[in-house]
Amino acid sequence: MTNLLEIKALCVNVDGQDILHDLDLTIPNGEVHTLLGPNGSGKTTLMMTIIGYPEYRVTNGQILFDGKDITTLDITERARLGIGISQQRPPTISGVKLKQVLDFIIANARQPVPDINELARAYKIEPFLDRDINAGLSGGEIKSSELFQLLIARPRFVMMDEPDSGVDLEAINIVGQMMNEIFARHHTIRTKERRTGLIITHTGNILDYIHADKAHLILDGYIGYTGNPHILLDQIREHGYGECARCELWRCR
Amino acid sequence: MENSTDLRQAADIDLNQFTTVPDTHRGVLVSPDQLEPGDAEVMAGVGVHVENEDRSGTYILQDFNPLCVPVQTKGLELLPIAVALKKYDWLRKKYCFKAVNADLDKYTLQCASAADPQGYFVHVKKGVKVPFPVQACLYIAQSGIAQTIHNIVILEEDSELQLITGCASRTGVGSAAHLGISEHFIGPKARFTNTMIHSWNPDVEVRSRSGTIVDAGGTFISNYISLRPSKSIQTNPRTWLNGEGASLKYLTIILGFGGSTIDTGGDVYLNGKNSSAELAHRAVCTGGRIYQRGLLTGNTPGCRAHIDCAGMVLDAGEDGFIEAVPGLKALHPDARMSHEASIGRIAPEQVAYLQSRGMSEREAISLLIRGFLDLDIEGLSPELDARIAEIADLAGHGEGI
Repeated sequence: MTNLLEIKALCVNVDGQDILHDLDLTIPNGEVHTLLGPNGSGKTTLMMTIIGYPEYRVTNGQILFDGKDITTLDITERARLGIGISQQRPPTISGVKLKQVLDFIIANARQPVPDINELARAYKIEPFLDRDINAGLSGGEIKSSELFQLLIARPRFVMMDEPDSGVDLEAINIVGQMMNEIFARHHTIRTKERRTGLIITHTGNILDYIHADKAHLILDGYIGYTGNPHILLDQIREHGYGECARCELWRCR
Repeated sequence: MENSTDLRQAADIDLNQFTTVPDTHRGVLVSPDQLEPGDAEVMAGVGVHVENEDRSGTYILQDFNPLCVPVQTKGLELLPIAVALKKYDWLRKKYCFKAVNADLDKYTLQCASAADPQGYFVHVKKGVKVPFPVQACLYIAQSGIAQTIHNIVILEEDSELQLITGCASRTGVGSAAHLGISEHFIGPKARFTNTMIHSWNPDVEVRSRSGTIVDAGGTFISNYISLRPSKSIQTNPRTWLNGEGASLKYLTIILGFGGSTIDTGGDVYLNGKNSSAELAHRAVCTGGRIYQRGLLTGNTPGCRAHIDCAGMVLDAGEDGFIEAVPGLKALHPDARMSHEASIGRIAPEQVAYLQSRGMSEREAISLLIRGFLDLDIEGLSPELDARIAEIADLAGHGEGI
């Protein structure tokens, strides 16, 4: 299976501070991985670097997408190659409606776009379509708005940063459904038709709603362990991230 | 008439450098078909469509030559002002210089002293609702001239009119001046929507003085858009809400480029019981100096007024700025008045967010500017909507004049 995302020896500096150190990560086509780590470990930095936010400065290493080096491309170019993100705290944009962004996505879509109105009804997005982006929305509503844009855009590679943070118990089911829809998990068991992605989570609770093929543990800007998501999550739940840092395997990195 | 906000930011114009006398050797415009294709295109850019479709009347002033397309609507009259003044004695006695003093400043004096005044006269009779907008284009096609305009608009009781005035200059025109007086008289329960769109060359200078008097229950909606500013624009429209329940909505949208000075205002006198005024200034500065002002004076019980100045500065260089000075003056204890002002820049994280959805940086900036200009403006007409899109596009692309 070919790798859609391949990161080699990545070092990233933000505001003069080194955040990511010699980070390697590979995600094959059709797989959904999860990135587990405590607050401040570099999870969000990794996502923002992959999509190309300019304040996340790559000082070493390479990001390959579908075999192409994208390390120096800007955000637009990366998005147009098929990388999409759902941010944990996206900005509020006064004067710009969610529908305007969706209209742009639809107008520039390369594949047939599903019926937006039907989907908006199904995922209870309708009330936000004509509202300014993220203005006055609850945590769960922001997540739904973010995921809905990805649902319409259907990027080849999707990163979601803490998709369940601030989401109440009622809304979490909808978020889970949207995630499975985005990754085409409901439709097919054939890997090549599934979509690829990375789910960033601190608690791991969202993994109760979507299957992840592999988990990576990030501590202090370095991925030192990759393995079965449920085994890793059980360890973290039992011993905490502090124990991971003290673990023999981690110290031998 | 009360003293208006002091306008002093735009430099004094030496009027001696311009001619105000028509060149008799130039042909007189008798039909819109005679317009050069390039001129018609520029006029369309400021909302004036020479084919006269979906318009109830058309007036074009090219340099000093007026042209009126006859109107078909009963109860609507559209004439060159010089013709109207000869035709109606009452016009001079009852309306001329009743909303703008002839001796307000040297520019109004210049207009008032013109032997053959230019400009339009629009008269809507009692109860007539004009179905389509009347359009007027004040067009400068040659360098070295000063247009001296005097417009008068009268709406009788319970009438309605939309007026689109496009002011522009032919591509390549150099130094020229556009001096104007506009007087509007809005009768009881009448409704007047005045949309003015400016698009000038960089060496044209504009001094525009307007006065509007609104009777009981009358409504005045004024939209001013400056797409491509001239070297300097100085304007301070003044409105007297004299009748009970008279209302005003005033919207100014300005795009400033390097080298231009734009000084706009809006003085409103709330003299009528329960009269109301709402002023919104929006400016995008990509260079040059922009002054947003306005002084609302509340004189009566129950009057309500709000002024909102908002500016966005984009790569304006060292000399570019926006100065916002919203003013309130309450002369009655029951006057309810408020103001707000904000100036900012485009937030990089908002641009990046939209880029992450596949927009280019320019597309993202255009959409953000459009959102900024559209903010809280309800019921935009298609004409206004198109101009806002154009401003957003121009500013987003960092295009100069």
